[in-house]
Amino acid sequence: MKGTEVMNCLLCNTPLNEPVTWKLLLTNHFPKTICTDCENKFKPYENKEKAVTSLYQYNEAMKDYLHRYKFLHDIILAKVFREQIHHHLSKQNAIIVPIPMHPLKLKERTFSPVDELLNEANVPFTHYLEKITTETQGGKSRQQRLNAPQIFRLKNGMDVVGKDFILVDDIYTTGTTIKHGKKVLLDEGAKSVTAFTLIRG
Amino acid sequence: MRNRLCKVQQKFNYKGIVVEPKIRDFFIGRIWTRNHTPFSQEKIEKYIEHQFFNIKPGISFFRKGFLQRQIYRCNRCHNTNQHEIVHYNCARCEKVCVYCRHCINMGRVTSCTDLLTWNGPSSHYPLSHKLVWEGKYTEAQHEAAQQLQESIKTGRHHLIFAVCGAGKTEILFPAVEFALNQGKRVCIATPRTDVVLELYPRFQKVFPKTNLHALYGSVPVQQGFPQLVITTTHQLYRFENAFDVVIVDEADAFPYTYDRTLQKAVVKAKKEDAPITLVTATPSPQILSRVKREKWGVSFIPRRYHGYPLPVPRYESLWSYDKKIQKGDIPTKLEEWTKARLTNKEPFLIFFPTIRLMHMATSLFQQLDKRIVSVHAEDEERKEKVLKLRKEEVPGLLTTTILERGITIKNIQVAVVGAESKIFTSSALIQISGRVGRNSQFPTGDIVFFHHGITAEMDEARNEIIRLNREGFGEGFK
Ligand SMILES: [Zn+2]
Ligand SMILES: [Zn+2]
Ligand SMILES: [Zn+2]
Repeated sequence: MKGTEVMNCLLCNTPLNEPVTWKLLLTNHFPKTICTDCENKFKPYENKEKAVTSLYQYNEAMKDYLHRYKFLHDIILAKVFREQIHHHLSKQNAIIVPIPMHPLKLKERTFSPVDELLNEANVPFTHYLEKITTETQGGKSRQQRLNAPQIFRLKNGMDVVGKDFILVDDIYTTGTTIKHGKKVLLDEGAKSVTAFTLIRG
Repeated sequence: MRNRLCKVQQKFNYKGIVVEPKIRDFFIGRIWTRNHTPFSQEKIEKYIEHQFFNIKPGISFFRKGFLQRQIYRCNRCHNTNQHEIVHYNCARCEKVCVYCRHCINMGRVTSCTDLLTWNGPSSHYPLSHKLVWEGKYTEAQHEAAQQLQESIKTGRHHLIFAVCGAGKTEILFPAVEFALNQGKRVCIATPRTDVVLELYPRFQKVFPKTNLHALYGSVPVQQGFPQLVITTTHQLYRFENAFDVVIVDEADAFPYTYDRTLQKAVVKAKKEDAPITLVTATPSPQILSRVKREKWGVSFIPRRYHGYPLPVPRYESLWSYDKKIQKGDIPTKLEEWTKARLTNKEPFLIFFPTIRLMHMATSLFQQLDKRIVSVHAEDEERKEKVLKLRKEEVPGLLTTTILERGITIKNIQVAVVGAESKIFTSSALIQISGRVGRNSQFPTGDIVFFHHGITAEMDEARNEIIRLNREGFGEGFK
């Protein structure tokens, strides 16, 4: 996927004619992948707490985006928010840990949406966690989710003691997923765990 | 000897499995992803094991040119535009795979996706189709219907060039009946979902004995073997080598004329020798030259079925209309035009060049009459709103070019705002003008192009309409 230039807006297919300016070349920004009209449909999320940071609200445009990216498996859409994700995560000192998928689920989907967002944003990450259930959180009630037994465990041979972490997921809705991940890392001796998601549901 | 071996082999393969008609009927002529059929995966796998399907990869590649560049092609939609081919690290096959973005809305096809085509026994086509239609042809319709049937009989491509309101659907009836009774499979394809929705009930009514399916977007699977299929050209991506006769209605409509893969889809969906019929009110120069070069059959109908000429558009300047609307004012001439329609209780359509401008204008028009609403392509209530206009529950609609064709409303009056905009090509303007005066009780009406400068496209549309009227009514007509 790297290296291929995007000629048309990845969301609405109108031609992109971004002029190549010196600023663009010197500051090494990521070239645009969507048009201004599409860009304006995404609304930034106003973060009120320190523990979890999110970039965007879950609105109609975001619903469409997620549908195409995660369910139609249009992997190239991982590029759409790379600039913003890069801007937010590349200067952090903590270790970036993506929320993992179960290996069976990964095979079925053929890619990990969270990993690809980070890859495209040029953000290094390490998988500390692994998923131990194949179930998704979607079909459950809030009560069921909160009471569910642990869904992650620490990967073999990973040492977390005294380290700082940022958990990354695509969307934050009830917070259960992040809560489970955080608990594993803290129980194993992590110094601090915060979270970052692209979307706040 | 070899022949006999083949037979034995075939018999063996067919053994131990009874082909379910509903699976056979679904797959004949279709090309479908292995893992997303409407049947249980277990069953499909069993059929594959018994070689009832041919399998091919979703994407294949060939080499092209001096540098032997690798070109990927999607085997479902035949897209070869490399900007719509994406490489990625595939977790399923643990190597670099590619997928096609062009047809991704139908479920993604990758190089590691299997596509199935039917390799089992064929279906029986009934030969007892009956056309039940009481209507009467004009002389021109009658002649065209005969010419078309002749072309279909001899396997020749055919062009029906008929003005908006010529009654072109009826022209198709005898040829379709003829082909069906020859045991042929017939497809009527159109770029617009609206047109599928309009044609389906009409064909259902006149061919009561025929199993007929309508295909568009996410329509649910229908039962039985459809010998007659009415579909969007888009859905033809899912057919291969299926039809003996293909008719493309509104062949000049977006996106068919602009999207090469849709044209390829028509060719892919038909059998090799099957004739194509194009039906249009505004044939492109490319179509016309192809028709001439390849000696197609041609039917030309310059007159409407009710015998009245096409309404000729008039021009009205509307300088800086966009700035006016942005400032919160409807330009005077446009406001007066709309008020006249409201006073006379005449239903109206006002076309806008962009959704943005239309949305800004909507609230202003609602100050004239609060029932006025707007429609655009992604509007989920589009059908309902058009129906409301027809039932006179709303006095008029603001619209984008989406309503340029397929809609017929008695005594409709039409205005185009910003007729000089790029989106209003001459064929779009001819189609829009063609909405007016279709009903024999109201064979005339106003069609006005409000503009900020006259373009060549506007003149071309107007001249073509005048030319067609001359063709239909003689030189004396102006
Ligand atoms: Zn866009
Ligand atoms: Zn494709
Ligand atoms: Zn693969």
